[in-house]
Amino acid sequence: MTQGSRLYFAVTLMCAFVSIHGVGLNDLLERASQLSDKLHSISTSLTNDLDSHFPPVGRVMMPRPSMCHTSSLQIPNDKDQALKVPEDELLSLARSLLLAWSDPLALLSAEASSLAHPERNTINSKTKELQDNIDSLGAGLEHVFNKMGSSSDNLSSLPFSSNSLGQDKTSRLVNFHFLLSCFRRDSHKIDSFLKVLRCRAAKKRPEMC
Amino acid sequence: MAYSLSLSLLYLGLLCGNGPVYARGSELFTPDPSRGPHFTGCRSREQETFRCWWSTGTFQNLTEPGALRVFYQTKNANEWQECPDYTRTVKNECYFNKTFTHIWTSYCIHLRSVPQNITYDEACFTVENIVHPDPPIGLNWTLLNVSRSGLHFDALLRWAPPPSADVQMGWMSLVYQVQYRIRNASHWEMLDLESGTQQSIYGLHTDKEYEVRVRCKMSAFDNFGEFSDSIIVHVAQIPSKDSTFPTTLVLIFGVIGVAILLVLLIFSQQQRLMVIFLPPIPAPKIKGIDPELLKNGKLDQLNSLLSSQDMYKPDFYHEDPWVEFIQLDLDDPAEKNESSDTQHLLGLSRSGSSHILNFKSDDDSGRASCYDPELPNPEDLASLLPGHSGRGENHPLVSRSSSSIPDLGVQQTSEVEETPIQTQPAVPSWVNMDFYAQVSDFTPAGGVVLSPGQLNSSPEKKKEEENEKKIQFQLLSDGAYTSENTARQLDVPPSPGPEQGYQAFPTQAVEGNLWNGEYLVSASDSQTPYLLPEAPPAPILPPVSDYTVVQEVDAQHSLLLNPPSSQAAISPHTPNKHLPAMPTMPMGYLTPDLLGNLNP
Repeated sequence: MTQGSRLYFAVTLMCAFVSIHGVGLNDLLERASQLSDKLHSISTSLTNDLDSHFPPVGRVMMPRPSMCHTSSLQIPNDKDQALKVPEDELLSLARSLLLAWSDPLALLSAEASSLAHPERNTINSKTKELQDNIDSLGAGLEHVFNKMGSSSDNLSSLPFSSNSLGQDKTSRLVNFHFLLSCFRRDSHKIDSFLKVLRCRAAKKRPEMC
Repeated sequence: MAYSLSLSLLYLGLLCGNGPVYARGSELFTPDPSRGPHFTGCRSREQETFRCWWSTGTFQNLTEPGALRVFYQTKNANEWQECPDYTRTVKNECYFNKTFTHIWTSYCIHLRSVPQNITYDEACFTVENIVHPDPPIGLNWTLLNVSRSGLHFDALLRWAPPPSADVQMGWMSLVYQVQYRIRNASHWEMLDLESGTQQSIYGLHTDKEYEVRVRCKMSAFDNFGEFSDSIIVHVAQIPSKDSTFPTTLVLIFGVIGVAILLVLLIFSQQQRLMVIFLPPIPAPKIKGIDPELLKNGKLDQLNSLLSSQDMYKPDFYHEDPWVEFIQLDLDDPAEKNESSDTQHLLGLSRSGSSHILNFKSDDDSGRASCYDPELPNPEDLASLLPGHSGRGENHPLVSRSSSSIPDLGVQQTSEVEETPIQTQPAVPSWVNMDFYAQVSDFTPAGGVVLSPGQLNSSPEKKKEEENEKKIQFQLLSDGAYTSENTARQLDVPPSPGPEQGYQAFPTQAVEGNLWNGEYLVSASDSQTPYLLPEAPPAPILPPVSDYTVVQEVDAQHSLLLNPPSSQAAISPHTPNKHLPAMPTMPMGYLTPDLLGNLNP
């Protein structure tokens, strides 16, 4: 009981501190970077799980990557471009991407349980985890945005129109795999952007990057 | 033509189907010589550029440069573009520089033979999936610590990220993997992925050379880069530590051994140590005889003890009843009445026959056994008897003071008691002699003055009587020792009568008393042993009859004693020194056979 009360007291103190001083931008970005890193690794493992028992015919049916719903977003393609982009734009890009994937991930988690795949359960749990992480990262990035004090909030809207993955189980599996691969790429984008942001903000502490 | 087209289409479809859609990693697989021209791999080192390699395969006629061309297509632009840079130095390599490299963009490359317009191979990928970072640089190690035993040590490894990878700007986030093995071993030990640039290795053995290398990869990707150059980690064993370890061990075992020995010693010598450290409290010294001495039978110690303590004298008469003797000690008048002659003569033993006369067949045999070696030699004692030489000396037994009681059974009254010799004024008829004479006084010289037993006897006669009686008594009393002084003082009547008397005595059922006979001889010869002291004329006293002689025993086992009126019968016996003839019966003694006769 004493430990719980102590923890509550500490949390209260921290909240008060945070409200007064706020967590530093560096720390926020650090935390966001960690979350995005986690997001990316989960998506990678999920893709691996799917690939383990993916029917060869599915590869034939796989849509091309340009058909991802977030491909219309203009992002820096290489390092030089990425390093030239200002922080707030980078942040808005990350946030836009993150926002674009909240609905598809919900669909994925709904479809994961009925997936025609031997590792359905693992895929289901990881999909759920992805969803949680996206929500927390979105909230964290909002804090970062508020901290950075940008004037304009130009979030791109990337709508996701599909309501179902497919009619038959094979198409559903293929679409699931396709969506997941799109998400994995986008999670890497978010992670890279946030890391660039973090290292740019932590110029005083070069050991961080 | 159509056949070839369909074939190529089919082949293309197969390739497209088998093509690595979103290939995350195109390995540089070894060229397959059985196949036609194909891509062997595409790689990016820093996520900024990438290269692709191909091989001609079995088609030897396409080896000349330019025969095979690479075309790529990005998702952004739908046209096919040819490889921007065919590397001149490396064969069959297509290099895409920064401007042509787009991250998060999928690429499809074709390997075509332009003259024939045949696409031999196709590959699709995205750049971040083909990133294989360069190996880290600057790998070095430092010693963290060495174990106490000196057998193990910990090392801290440090390295730097590859310079090509832009980690500072956060473009690439690398994780590292360290591997180590004992030199020339086959199996590599792998440590966990490390996002930092240093890692510790624990539990390495000293005196063994370890090979350590490190490689890195993009986090959340699976493509490891090449290993860095191996470094050797080696710590020599410190000999001093080895030497101290056995020394301490020896010391510990030595201490334990000594402790065990001490414990054993203590347990084995427990009694002695108890006595040394906790000496027994001395018991109070009470004067007395230690019963242990009696049990052990240490005669000499006991003799010394007994002689020093008077109180224990009577106790030891019990031990040896057949060795008793009477000592006449003229020095101590107080002891004259200690024991009566009657008791002696009659053989009455009060407390264990303390003063029973002893008739010894041998002059010194009986006594010799009773004597303690510490005492004067029994032979010496015998020689000192008046019958023997050495008259000049006091009888040792006689003169012996009450200082030592040597034997258990031998009780010596060192003080020669003055045996009260009383004369019987009225002697019964069967008693020829008057045995008893009452001692009236002692002369200063130590002589015994006997009171006259009869009124009518003249002092001289009385004296003679007394002398005779005395002599007789003394002769009879075997075992009666008189001191030499006493003996000298005794005046033996110079008549042969005493001789006869003396001689007659032994015949009177004095059982086997050779000593007495000897004594007699000596007495007769010397005429000195029993010499009555020159006593002053005894005052004429009315005859005191203290003793009555047992006359006879009647039927009721009662002793009939003669009345004193029979004293007159004595007088005819006494006038002369000549001793009357002795009846066959002993005078005054109740011998066992006499006693038997008395019994009905």
